[in-house]
This record gives sequence, C-alpha cells and structure tokens, in this order.
Amino acid sequence: MHATRKPFFLWRHLNKLRWLTLATVFSMLVLLPFLHVYQTYVAAHAYDLLAPQEQELYDTMEALTAPFVTDPAEDLDAVKGNTWSGNLFGLKLSDPLAALSQVAAGMNLYTPFLLTALIPVVFTLLFGRFYCGWICPASFLYELNSNFAILLRRIGLSTGHRKLDRRFKYLVLGAGLVLSMLTGSVIVAAIYPPAVLGREIYYAVALGGFGAGAVFFAATMLFDLMVAQRGFCRYLCPGGALYSLLGRYRLVRVQRVVENCNDCAKCNAICEFGLDPLRDGFGQECNNCAACIAVCPTDALTFEIRPSDIAYQGPGHLGKRYQHRQRRETPPEVEATA
Amino acid sequence: MQRRTFIKSIGIAAGAAAAPAARAVLPVRSSIRYLRPPGAVAEDEFLSRCIRCGQCGEACPNRCISYFGMGNGLSSLDTPYIIPREKGCILCMKCGEVCPSGAIQPIVRELEPILEGVRMGRAVVDKRLCLSYQGKTCGVCYRACPLQDVAITVGMLEQPHVTDKCVGCGLCERSCIQMPQAIRIVPNYG
Repeated sequence: MHATRKPFFLWRHLNKLRWLTLATVFSMLVLLPFLHVYQTYVAAHAYDLLAPQEQELYDTMEALTAPFVTDPAEDLDAVKGNTWSGNLFGLKLSDPLAALSQVAAGMNLYTPFLLTALIPVVFTLLFGRFYCGWICPASFLYELNSNFAILLRRIGLSTGHRKLDRRFKYLVLGAGLVLSMLTGSVIVAAIYPPAVLGREIYYAVALGGFGAGAVFFAATMLFDLMVAQRGFCRYLCPGGALYSLLGRYRLVRVQRVVENCNDCAKCNAICEFGLDPLRDGFGQECNNCAACIAVCPTDALTFEIRPSDIAYQGPGHLGKRYQHRQRRETPPEVEATA
Repeated sequence: MQRRTFIKSIGIAAGAAAAPAARAVLPVRSSIRYLRPPGAVAEDEFLSRCIRCGQCGEACPNRCISYFGMGNGLSSLDTPYIIPREKGCILCMKCGEVCPSGAIQPIVRELEPILEGVRMGRAVVDKRLCLSYQGKTCGVCYRACPLQDVAITVGMLEQPHVTDKCVGCGLCERSCIQMPQAIRIVPNYG
C-alpha cells in the first residue's frame, strides 16, 4: 500500500463559501436598487413628503447604512451596478461578454471599456468558468431551481432531463455577436441571464415593475425545469460559452486522485454542469464550483495546478472493478496467502 | 477542422459586409420623442456602445432616466431615455461618470464643459401656447432653467427666448404650466 494523497482539508468546505458568495452577490443586487431609491430621497430632502411605507423603507436603509456613510447621497455611490458591469469602490469591472459584444456592435475597440473587463478575463484564465459557479446571480437562482426540481421529483412529478449538445452555446455566442454586429446594438445583453436579472431587479425596485427581460428569465427557469436540468447554462448561455473558451487552459482545476476513488459516482450526480469527474472528464466547462469535492466520500477530488486535464486514469483504486482486476492479474498462490 | 474554420471565417466576413446594409434597412427609432442622458454620443454610436447595464439610472439622483422596452425597436431595448415632460435632467453629470462603456461621456459639472459636451436637444417655444406671449406674465421656464441667461433669456412680460446654447435638459418643458406644454425639447440624436 503506497501513501495516498489527501486533498487540503478546506477544499471540501469551499462549496459552502461558494453558496455564501452567490447569496451575497444576489442580495447586493437586490439591496443596491433600494439604496439608490433611498439616495434619491436624501438628495431631494423629501422625507416629509413620503408615504408611510416609503418612510419605512427610508428608515430601514438609513439604519443599514448609517454606520458606514456620513453623506448617503454621495457616499453610497461607492458600490453601484450589477455583475454585467459595476463599480466597486472606484474600480469599474465589466463582464468580458459585455466588452466582446460592444466590440462586435461597434466594430471598433474602445479601450477604456475593454480595460474594465481585464481583471475578470485574467481570473477566468486562471480559474476557468468560475464566474458561472461563484458570482453569477442567475446561477444562484438556477441552482435553487435545480433543488426545486429535486423536490418536484420527490412528490412524483417528472422534470426534464434531456441531454443536448453542449456545443450549442458556442453557436448562441456566435449568433449573438453576429446579430450585434448586424444591428449595431448590443443585443447579447438581452439574452444573457445575469445581465437581464441585474437590470430587471433594478427595474422592479426602482422603476416600479419588471420589463420584458423578466419574461425571458422566467422562460429560462422553465426550460431548466421542463427540458434539461441547468439546460440554459449547459447548452445555451453565450456568456458561459465565452467563459468556457477563456478557461480552456485554466491553471486551477479539479482533478481526481485515482488512488482514493471508489467509483461511487456521487460526483457525477452532483455536478450541475453534467460533467464526468468520475472518468476525469472535466473539460473546459468545469466552473470550479467544488460541489464534487464536497460530496466525495473518499477525498478523491482535489485542486491541482496544471493547464490541462489528466487523461482517463481508469477505475478508482478503492472500487470493485479495479480490485477485481487486480485479483485476476496477481498469481493465485499470492491470493491464497492473502 | 480546417473546413470548419473556413466556414466560420466566411460567416464572419459575410456578417461584416452585411452590417452597414442591415443598419440602413432596420428602422432605428420610432416616433417617441425622447432624450438620451447628458453626454450621450450620437444615436448610432450610442446603440453600439451602450451595454444596457442600467448604471446611469442607478446613479441618477433625480430618477429621470427610464429604460426602453420593445417600444422603440429591438436595437433600443433596455437603453436609457428621458421623457422631459415627465422628468427633466438636472445636469448633475453623474451618469457620464458611472457609464463604463463610453456611451455617455464623462463631463465635468461646470458651465463650459456642459455647454461643450451636452447635446441632448434644444428647447423650442410655441408662441401660440406660451402664456407670456399671450400677455399673461409667466416666466416659469426661465426660472426652471439650470443655465439661466445663458440658454434662455426673457424679454417683455417674461417672454422666453431660447439661445443656441440650450443643451436640452428638459427642465423647462417639465415645468411649463400650460397643458399641452408651450416649450418642448427637440431632441438631438446626433
């Protein structure tokens, strides 16, 4: 028996941190429009004119922000926007897809904007499609939706589990960019769930109602429920396609430690993107969400720093198939003594 | 693989060639009279630069910026606009500051840069509707103007005269006490 590699013990808790991050991003997305509304009240000195419910909102926001700001009308501008494009304490960050689709729509390079996508691009080169698993507010709702589907199945309703071609999303990305180019308008923003969601929450809170995008988003949720689990992210999302392409040679990736694996296939069952960790099939679409690491009962999955996946390593050494084969290959007298 | 790249490049080339033609054919705007936020670049360029992030509206302390649904065509979907009669722009210039994509250019909040860079439109007075021109002294539009005596001056009976320095913020149209309004912004889409 040779020494087995144990993954760093914190890796299996990363999934909890991920849920925390997703929830934080989502709640910020809801909170920011409320803060904006509050700011406008402050700027207008309008407290006395507000309806009682609005005054309640004002009081809540004041209580929430008072410890952090002295002048709400100005200081609360520090964090603005959404995950499509936002402002974080003076640092402007944008989705690489926003940059790319602007290039397609205008057919020129506007450097100040391209630079805002630089940090996300670098992170994607390092961590692959991490945005999809760790930040995307739509992902948060889609994952809850997956859990909801489990609930539905438990009470006997059947949910969609079709397998489509995952290359289809690259086609969507291409079509979106070509359409942006043809219309000279950033059309991609209308079919990219996190961008849609960021806007729609803002519309609902600050402008008094959802827009057309809410219908689109509801449709994607239904698609996930009725056609394919996490179907939009897996097969259709143009942003996911771009992130996958950028993350193809990511340095940080989840890998299987074959010595620890017992072929239980829990990783394949938990994988939201329908990948194949059991057979070392991570590919460019793994979003490093670490759900498989968290679920693995034998510590057989860990993070590695390498630019490509390991080829299929065969059945796990703790599994029946491997041990059966070992027994057949070892001479009979050794087996008798053992 | 090679064939695939070839087909791909053909597709991209065809798209690039068809783009100007398609732009000429597709209707760009409807009959809605709207303004773009202050500092917005010319309409065609604006549509290609705006990424629909909604930050301009979120920065607007006056909440005058709304967003298009399908009403102004697919290419305008989710882009910001201002209907001056509903709410004018107070020229705080915060939207240009937050706009990441260069669709709204950042402009310093001082007279010269604003006169230079803001081209939302220009106010036009309808003398048949304007109270001051009917002999009833009013002057509300003049008092609402953030660029008093620069963009708008008053004569006898507070009769408004819009100069060519008007940037089209729409506060005069918003404040006009006539119904329908006697002063309107004619938008400048560049």
